Amino acid sequence: MQTLLLASLVLLSASTLAAQTSEDLIKADPNNWLMYSGTYDSKRHSLLKQINPSNVQNVAPKWVYHISGSIKLEAVPIVVNGVMFVAQLNHVDALDARTGRLIWQYRRQPVSRGAHRGIAVSDNKVYVGTADAHVIALDARNGAVRWETKIQGEDVRYQGGAPLVIRNKVLVGGNSRVGGFIDAYDTESGKQLWRWNSLPKPGEPGSETWAGDSLKLGGGPMWHTGSYDPQLDLAYFGTGQPGMDFVGDYRKGDNLYTDCMVALDPETGKMKWYFQFTPHDVHDYDAVEIPILVDATFKGQPRKLLLQANRNGYYYILDRTNGKFLQGTPFVKVITWASGLTEDGRPVVVPGSEPSVQGTKVCPPTAGATNWPSPAYSPDTRLFYVIVTEGCGINIRGASKFEIRPGAPVGSGTGYLESPDVQERWQLYVRALDAFTGKTAWDYKQIGSNHYGPGVVSTAGGIVFAGEQQGNLTALDAKTGKPLWHFNTGDFISASPIVYGVAGNQYVAIVAGSNVIAFGLSGGAK
Amino acid sequence: MRFAAIVATFAIAAAPIQAQRGAVDTGPRNPFAGNEQAVAEGRDIYNRACTACHGQDGTTGDRAPALAAPGRRYLRQTDSALFDAVQKGIPGTQMPPMGLNETEAWKVTAYVRGLRGTAIDTPAKGNVAHGQQIFWGKGECGNCHTAQGKGGLIGPDLSNIAGRRKLSSIRDSLTKPQHRVLGDGGQIESVLYPLASHKAVRVVTKDGRTIRGTVKNEDSFSLQIMGTDNALHLFLRDELREVIDEPKSLMPTDYDKRLTPEEFQDLLAFLSRQGTTAQTQQPPIARQPVE
Repeated sequence: MQTLLLASLVLLSASTLAAQTSEDLIKADPNNWLMYSGTYDSKRHSLLKQINPSNVQNVAPKWVYHISGSIKLEAVPIVVNGVMFVAQLNHVDALDARTGRLIWQYRRQPVSRGAHRGIAVSDNKVYVGTADAHVIALDARNGAVRWETKIQGEDVRYQGGAPLVIRNKVLVGGNSRVGGFIDAYDTESGKQLWRWNSLPKPGEPGSETWAGDSLKLGGGPMWHTGSYDPQLDLAYFGTGQPGMDFVGDYRKGDNLYTDCMVALDPETGKMKWYFQFTPHDVHDYDAVEIPILVDATFKGQPRKLLLQANRNGYYYILDRTNGKFLQGTPFVKVITWASGLTEDGRPVVVPGSEPSVQGTKVCPPTAGATNWPSPAYSPDTRLFYVIVTEGCGINIRGASKFEIRPGAPVGSGTGYLESPDVQERWQLYVRALDAFTGKTAWDYKQIGSNHYGPGVVSTAGGIVFAGEQQGNLTALDAKTGKPLWHFNTGDFISASPIVYGVAGNQYVAIVAGSNVIAFGLSGGAK
Repeated sequence: MRFAAIVATFAIAAAPIQAQRGAVDTGPRNPFAGNEQAVAEGRDIYNRACTACHGQDGTTGDRAPALAAPGRRYLRQTDSALFDAVQKGIPGTQMPPMGLNETEAWKVTAYVRGLRGTAIDTPAKGNVAHGQQIFWGKGECGNCHTAQGKGGLIGPDLSNIAGRRKLSSIRDSLTKPQHRVLGDGGQIESVLYPLASHKAVRVVTKDGRTIRGTVKNEDSFSLQIMGTDNALHLFLRDELREVIDEPKSLMPTDYDKRLTPEEFQDLLAFLSRQGTTAQTQQPPIARQPVE
């Protein structure tokens, strides 16, 4: 098997950037990292195993590519047949994935440092969201613009989430004055095919969960990418928080479809089901964390599952055919805003936990028990790996009363701080959860790291590679969490690592600060 | 080498604070400059419209730069440039027009400008020379802190404390055990800094030596300590038998009790004038005399 794999690698590198089709996205070649989460199921589990616990000590940097003018990059690179594409806002570079040498650059004015988490690639095109709310398609071979479409709507914003390609459609999320949305654009022409709005229109189902005319406050921003099940033909996206993040007085009700997981028909954009994690959220617990799709026997029954470690502190298992809540367990030590979940997964909110003018202690903090950095799942260990923040925050509302004016943005109503109590300061861990019980199997403390940013990738070689905010890329034993190797990249890591292969060699790459660094076994495959 | 780099970092951080005050505003003046009532109203508007991206009191949210983080270099320095961004947004970025009328936008501008001020802009009243004597004498501050080019190394360097902190923050740090306050840090850094916490630590090496000091930096694999002997001690974690976090900061926080009210005020007057002078631009070349 391994030899076969290597043989195919050599063949691939000989052909020059064979066109990657949308069909290839389903049958992903493990040498490629084809989309933000690697594969449609978002497991972030690479099948490559050249690097394993017996030789990981010999991993060394192979090349560094510096993206000048950038800072604290959040991008996950895409690798297709030996070419790496890496993006920041209004800026894409294509590199030789084996050497880090630049092939082409795309620049759009103004070059911006805003958060940008990545791009999508298929059919020789690179799909990019821009700072001025356009979706563009670049030719993957030379960076030329193939089409460009302005995202329609009032005060629309593209918020940095990587696009997701499904067949002939590229799905892009955003936000507007009247709420978040997912758009589908035709991959050939750039024509908009449909829009799904994360907030219902007045009178539509769900609008009854917004008191008065509070729907006008907006919310439900779609700022992260989703997952896709080709068999069920459903795309899964997490939605953001309701308008006025920290003040709920004006929007009594559950505020659908904010803080939800939704299943969309990619052909029509129609919602098949939703599950709301945090009804009537007042802590900015966006539910955009990447959902991982796993088929497994759960409590004696074969199931198509959706796993999500949510910012609100609970680890959820849903049936992804219908959105049914199957299980929810705390994955951080302290949750103060809810005392538990009901049988159907609804949180039991603790009275008095809402933000106040003088500040209310809330655990987990608004920064989240976890956040957008990617988790991973290994079918070998059946563990769910996630970067966790332990600690608490102080949530504050800016005033006891707010004047709501139609047409004016409402903002968040105020913000949050880290708890000043030493015992509640934020501390990051890589935590391995038994994917099906939610129980912690092991913990790795990232000393010095206190704010979300990096994610993880798992490999068939039995290693979990984890970025640390404090700059280390660390290899952990997937079974035990024992650190086996690390490298100080010298800059903040705010991105998730990837694994790919070129010409028989396995690479691990991470974007650290303003550099892309690729690692492999010293001396190559032996 | 590392130590030199750290010193350089502070020097760079200090520079823009001084430099930006020299920015010339040729645009309209803020009608609410210095108007406390308007600044308070500006804060209310800010809290309604701006915190989602820019964070509580300008300390930075997830999506936009800190408007008032200590030591940062501001793109919009003048009243009119700030007003322009608040009212019209910044085209080509995610900063939208905020839908505020002119009066509201000026109030927000006045509030943001106020956030940016530090102690050196509003120094405490008092006898500075006497405060200096307290710093080096009865207060024993100089045993741990550097100021005026001398002093101890274990605590934060106070040479530019008035350029980095608000007066209220300096007062709190002398009197409150947990003195982190709004607008005083808490920002999400963009590059790796040495840790600012000056956490007190005691370590025991595998060969039995005990070292006390404050943590300059640490990660999962190494630890950099400034010892109470004013010397750096650098360790890999596997060289250590024990790492014990001391429960309390080494900094006393009862200066309002160990000093008389007059001494305390004079110390504040001294501290709130500790600012380093940034390198200024080359002086203009003297004009040749007309012949």
